[in-house]
Amino acid sequence: MTTGRASLRDRLFASDHVAGWLFVSPAVLLIGLFGVAPIIWALIISFQNNSLITSGTWVGLANYRHLLHDPMFAASVRRTIVYTVLFVPITLFGALAVAVALNRRLRGMRFYRTAVFAPVVTSTVATAIMFSWLLDPYFGIVNIILNKLGFASQGFFQNPSQALYCIVIVTVWGWLGFAVVIYMAALQGIPSELLEAAEIDGATRWRAFWRVQFPLLGPTTLFLVVWLSINALQLFDEIYVITRGGPLASTTVVVYYLFQQAFAFFQAGYATAIAYVVFLAILLLTVVQLLIGRRLVHYRS
Amino acid sequence: MTRSRIVCGATLAVVAVALLAVALVAAGCGGGSPSSSSSSPGTTGSGTVTFWHGYTDVERAAIDRTGAEYNATKPAWKVSVVFAGNNDYALTKLQTALAAGKAPDIAYQYGSSMALLAKLPQVVDLTSRVNDPAFGWNDFFPAVRLAATVNGKVLGVPALVDNLALVYNKTLFDQAGVPYPTAQWTWDDFRAAAKRLTNPSTKQFGWAYVNDASEDTVWRYVALLWQAGGDMLTPDNSKAAFNSAAGLKAMTLLYDMANQDHSIYLDSGNDNYLNLFNAGKIAMLYTGPWDISSINKGVRFGVQILPGDVSHATIAGPDNYVVLNNGADRVNGAWQFIKWFTAPQQHLQFAIATGDLPLSSAETKLPGYQTYLKKYPAEALFVANLGNVTKARPNIPTYPQVSQALGQAIQAVLLGKMTPQQALSSAEQQVNSILASGQ
Amino acid sequence: MSEAILRPDEFRPDEFRPGDIRPDDLVTTRRWTPSAWHLVLIPLAVVMLFPFFWLVVTSLQTLAQSRTFGLHFALQFHNYIDAWTQAPFGRWLLNTTIVSVTVVISNLVFCSLAGYALARIRFFGSGALFLVILATLMVPFQVVMVPTLLIVRGLGLVDSLPALMAPNLVTPFGVFLLRQFFKTMPVEIEEAARIDGAGRLGTLVKVVLPSMRAPLATVGIMTLLWTWNDFLWPLIAIQSEKHFTLQLGLMTFQGAHSINWPLIMAGTVTTQIPMLVIFIFAQRWFVQSLATQGLKG
Repeated sequence: MTTGRASLRDRLFASDHVAGWLFVSPAVLLIGLFGVAPIIWALIISFQNNSLITSGTWVGLANYRHLLHDPMFAASVRRTIVYTVLFVPITLFGALAVAVALNRRLRGMRFYRTAVFAPVVTSTVATAIMFSWLLDPYFGIVNIILNKLGFASQGFFQNPSQALYCIVIVTVWGWLGFAVVIYMAALQGIPSELLEAAEIDGATRWRAFWRVQFPLLGPTTLFLVVWLSINALQLFDEIYVITRGGPLASTTVVVYYLFQQAFAFFQAGYATAIAYVVFLAILLLTVVQLLIGRRLVHYRS
Repeated sequence: MTRSRIVCGATLAVVAVALLAVALVAAGCGGGSPSSSSSSPGTTGSGTVTFWHGYTDVERAAIDRTGAEYNATKPAWKVSVVFAGNNDYALTKLQTALAAGKAPDIAYQYGSSMALLAKLPQVVDLTSRVNDPAFGWNDFFPAVRLAATVNGKVLGVPALVDNLALVYNKTLFDQAGVPYPTAQWTWDDFRAAAKRLTNPSTKQFGWAYVNDASEDTVWRYVALLWQAGGDMLTPDNSKAAFNSAAGLKAMTLLYDMANQDHSIYLDSGNDNYLNLFNAGKIAMLYTGPWDISSINKGVRFGVQILPGDVSHATIAGPDNYVVLNNGADRVNGAWQFIKWFTAPQQHLQFAIATGDLPLSSAETKLPGYQTYLKKYPAEALFVANLGNVTKARPNIPTYPQVSQALGQAIQAVLLGKMTPQQALSSAEQQVNSILASGQ
Repeated sequence: MSEAILRPDEFRPDEFRPGDIRPDDLVTTRRWTPSAWHLVLIPLAVVMLFPFFWLVVTSLQTLAQSRTFGLHFALQFHNYIDAWTQAPFGRWLLNTTIVSVTVVISNLVFCSLAGYALARIRFFGSGALFLVILATLMVPFQVVMVPTLLIVRGLGLVDSLPALMAPNLVTPFGVFLLRQFFKTMPVEIEEAARIDGAGRLGTLVKVVLPSMRAPLATVGIMTLLWTWNDFLWPLIAIQSEKHFTLQLGLMTFQGAHSINWPLIMAGTVTTQIPMLVIFIFAQRWFVQSLATQGLKG
């Protein structure tokens, strides 16, 4: 390490800007090419009357104007919001509770953790078939149990008023393990001294948790809120394999609606316009979440 | 190391910008496939044409053999038989392949996709080729010819034909003391039988209906509509025609059976009905040859033509091979294979191997047809039933939207959320506006 | 429930911790180790595992059993052999493994670099960059899959394994998650290392990353899982069967109208078991505690 080379290196690395950009350059290159470029391309499509294959004719804002007057689009947005508002908190707090429960030294912990993670590994198709059978209006086990308890059979996926809520249950089931794993990783990072200090001060375990651990899970909770919201607003796979948007369009959420437009009706221009509106909404929501997070979340420093 | 890191970083940046530029240019120019029609008509060239299909299992083995047989005749253009994934994705795959400029030469496509495929400039118009007398186009059953034609142009060659018939569980009929369905059955006979075959305490249903508001839901209703003498759309495809006395009669049958008799098991689209049929929980199905092979050995079943009203009309769901234009030579090469494969003698071999129905009346006149009937006794009725297919669903680009509107109306009726008339009126309104704004 | 929240390395069964009140205290017996938590965890495990259990049961049925209603148990292990022999399963497994391992390694490397920079280095445009990276998550894939295909074609990669790797070499998920975790690291340690003369890269690799085993394991596992199970992108990017991944290959057993459930399930179980096994082994990264890192001073 000669003085000459050291000073050059120091000077360069002293420049945070250069260092920063060097560190992110591979990510920028790859995400730029495969993430940003397609999105810009899609934006161009949204201003066209395009069927994906034949190059379209330029129609300016016509697709977006059509959006504003499309009652089916508005209904799909409503359903997506209902779904998200239910899915995110349930998954988040459910996962927190489960992660805390799993973060102990009990017998069989490895089994429980694997069990909780198993739904994440199970394919969407297998999940769909399973839940369709479980919740079948005539032959499903759930209805058989309900009948034995004296309740009437429910339509579940066949009932327009219940189908969306059943999807909430299926997706919470499928995503819980993911959030649990993330919380477990975070709980590892909380030194025990902090908990000890609180308990020595006389706090009960419950209060120690909320006062000490939960705030320290702030960055993780923020991540999960943002991540789960982004995914909830783009719900598609489960709808595609279980209900196909039905019954009576009661589970046609926004991304399913745009998928139909693009691939069933060949209206790719309209579909990308919808996607862009969704994108802007999610972007706005995420910015709000991050700003709130900046105020509320405590990063140790 | 520091210097190389800078160089590295700078090079990365330059490469990134360059690649982005290339990508955007490529994307901007993206679209049509490289159609090099520079060769003059008459030259044939040689090479290999790609043929995408979604056959699995027995059919796949048969198509592979077919390809090998064809290649053994040493044609100028050999065929490469490629499994392109489940047929449910065939349209999406073809769309994206065309967008990426790497399309096959022949592709198996659902008949319902024809009107959409008609919009693609790369799909070859085969009208003049099929009208060549040597091809025998008029020997193909009318149903399949109709399904391959859009706006007077023939855009595909039939790959598969089927139709809906009544499949019933003989054991359940015996147990209930109901005589087996006959070719003279009317809707009333059918409804009465379904009612007698329904037993809530054992969770047994007389009939099953696919209720996912997709085309599966619609086409069974359309069969009923045609049996009552009705039509989906006006002959010029400009307005809905199903909100008629015939349409109402058909819808009312569904409504009454579902909500008064409770004799219908409403399948959610996951094909549970077949499992239940095998388990002896469902007595009758409106289904086609594809389900026959999935019926378990222990189940005694029979096949009959659909119960009728004004007629015993039924509906067919044909699929086609489409040819893509990757250059005149390749189109010619692809056409040679198709001509060879769909010739009656050749296709009959395929049918015998797979159980698929014959595509043309010429096939049924060949001596080999008796072999086919002996191997697949249940298919005999489906072949005869092809005579009951006199109409086809409209081959218009907006058909998927029309189907969706009608599908949701039928679903509402089956779930008891709308009366038949309400459902028909609401669907008519939607369909008319779809057709009015249609492309 | 008479347990305190313990770090695993601090589990001392016989030691009392201040503030603990246990019902057993009133009866002078030892602590009751079979905890009441099991009453909650067992039903949870059952609910979570039931579909997987059904997967396995179906994979062992005969074809006729799978086509009827009700739970039938059989032991048709030959389904697994058939799934392997009737289709080039080995080839698909190889393809999927190559793609997944490459993607995981590249993500661990590049997301660490980027996440660290976004968390710890103040550089021009970092805020906007972070938002742009996040933004790429917000457009549904169905909409961008065709342009992505065009770009892949422009690079000459269509119908090859690199086509499956390229779009996923860096995922915004990894960058975002690691950024959050990097932000939870105590700065003192890094500052100490910098004062000792280590460069930023050295600090990252030698000091920070070793403490990030759990989040790194998370990124690795989730990336592995998503690449392993990816279906839609391989469907349109791959055309030749020899480049199929496992998920694409399973379609071979799925005809338009007749699905061979036992074979598909046998295939599915085969493809999912590696994921579960990896997860079981990776758990030790979630359980090992942080070495205390000289927080004093």
